[in-house]
Amino acid sequence: MAEREYLVVPWIRIWHWTNAALIITLGVTGMSIHFADPALPLVDFALAVRIHNTAGVLLIGTYLFFVVANIVTGNWWQFVPKPPGILQRIVKQVLWYSIGVFRGEPHPHEPSKEEHFNALQAVTYWGVMYLLLPVILLSGLIYLYPEFAPETLFGFDGLLPVALVHYLSAVAILLFLLSHIYLGTTGKTVGQLFKMMITGWHEH
Amino acid sequence: MRRYLQRTWQPERWLWAVGTALRPLLLSLLPALVFAQGAEPSSEQLEKTRQAHAECFACHSPEGFKAPPKEGLDLGKLRGLLQHPDVFGQSDHRRLACTKCHNEGYDEHPHAADARDMTSTCTDCHSKKAKVIEPQFEKSVHAQNLAGTFTCTTCHDPHLMRLAERQSDASRIVAQDNRVCLGCHDSDERFAQFAPEKKLRPPLDDIHAWLPNTRLHWRSVRCVDCHTPEVAAGEMISHEIVGGEGAQRDCVACHSTSSTLKTRLYRHLVKEEQQRLGFANSVLLANAYIPGATRHTLLDTLVLGAFAAMLLGLIAHGIGRFLTRSKRAKDGRKPPVLREAGDDTNGENHG
Repeated sequence: MAEREYLVVPWIRIWHWTNAALIITLGVTGMSIHFADPALPLVDFALAVRIHNTAGVLLIGTYLFFVVANIVTGNWWQFVPKPPGILQRIVKQVLWYSIGVFRGEPHPHEPSKEEHFNALQAVTYWGVMYLLLPVILLSGLIYLYPEFAPETLFGFDGLLPVALVHYLSAVAILLFLLSHIYLGTTGKTVGQLFKMMITGWHEH
Repeated sequence: MRRYLQRTWQPERWLWAVGTALRPLLLSLLPALVFAQGAEPSSEQLEKTRQAHAECFACHSPEGFKAPPKEGLDLGKLRGLLQHPDVFGQSDHRRLACTKCHNEGYDEHPHAADARDMTSTCTDCHSKKAKVIEPQFEKSVHAQNLAGTFTCTTCHDPHLMRLAERQSDASRIVAQDNRVCLGCHDSDERFAQFAPEKKLRPPLDDIHAWLPNTRLHWRSVRCVDCHTPEVAAGEMISHEIVGGEGAQRDCVACHSTSSTLKTRLYRHLVKEEQQRLGFANSVLLANAYIPGATRHTLLDTLVLGAFAAMLLGLIAHGIGRFLTRSKRAKDGRKPPVLREAGDDTNGENHG
């Protein structure tokens, strides 16, 4: 019989799916704006800008909530990879994704109350949440209020570096999003990890 | 034959005939040659013009108004007839003596009573341009709604204006041109001077509420870049000013790599386009980062390549997992059998 364990508390689940919805919305509208072309109609430009601005501001709100809630509940500790052997465990995880998973080998890490994430997850999630998100939110905020951008830079409009940083961090986040969704299917069954993020229960 | 040739072969007469035929053409080109860039007037000419200006600015400038050189001037009238010498000194007409346009009756003071009526009009010099502009202007919202009250100088103050093609900074072109529109459309007082009675000035921010970052647009692009219909590539921007109805509302018209701004605001600057550092429309980028228009094409290709590689990689990984799992299921739940060296049969045959 499968043993069940309640791992993911409601605020994390609500935040996770709100965050997901906002990031997907921002990704789609962001692509519509960046690749705007009369021959390639994604979302109408003016509408895309409005949705993108609104969703961006909401994401700042959810991000602040995430940071504060993490501090208050102590959940931030989950994002810190714990020694000893962090690198070895990361390598082990990468090897499992590239070889072990095809051989039907068991997961090298079993989520528990003390350690939700494997070492690779902890490092990646930490980088996305505490490095990429602040960069994209801050550059987005300057984009929203361009008067805070430098006037000019090397003969170009000063908004250019802000726009480039915003774009490249968006690319990194969306590439992460693709792999994150896919790796979500590598539980014991394809749906196991998605189910856990909805119900909060992990089936061992 | 020889005699005939001697009689007709008179090169100086031929040259004279050709010269006479070309004379009207040469004369018509003369002003263009004089004012063409590079054909700088001599220092004597400049000094002569400066003196001519100084004579008029003695009264018709803020300084002249403060300390009139003559007693008994009608200062109330003079107050409305002042020009700033330094602003005029930057304008396209700066090398013309005031009396080029304010001609008959302005040589002496007091000026002739009908002197104003004899002031030259724009079309006296700019007749060729006027032929293109007039039919466009006739269709404009100003000519349609305010027939008779609008002339060239209502918008184009000849003491201030500089042609876009003589400016190297798009933001200056925008500032100059938008000041003209906003002068009336952002001022109740001036709007009321022209508008039909009871017509209230629509608040600009309200009617442009659909346009994201409205004020930022007004600093980066001219009102006429949206409020005029398309013209053929290389043509001067149309003088058919359209109201909200006919104006450009398709953001992508500007916000795309094929941006119409290249044939509008940046028409003269775009000649310098060199795709600096690989950015599309980098000439626009000097003035404003315009999402959609100023993309880095190589970077975008790399990014799309990264997404394609990621997707293909994930799909391949997924297919690999599916196939290996099916194979394991087919092989049954037998514990993995260690193959011995030399055993060339695979597990499937055993299963």
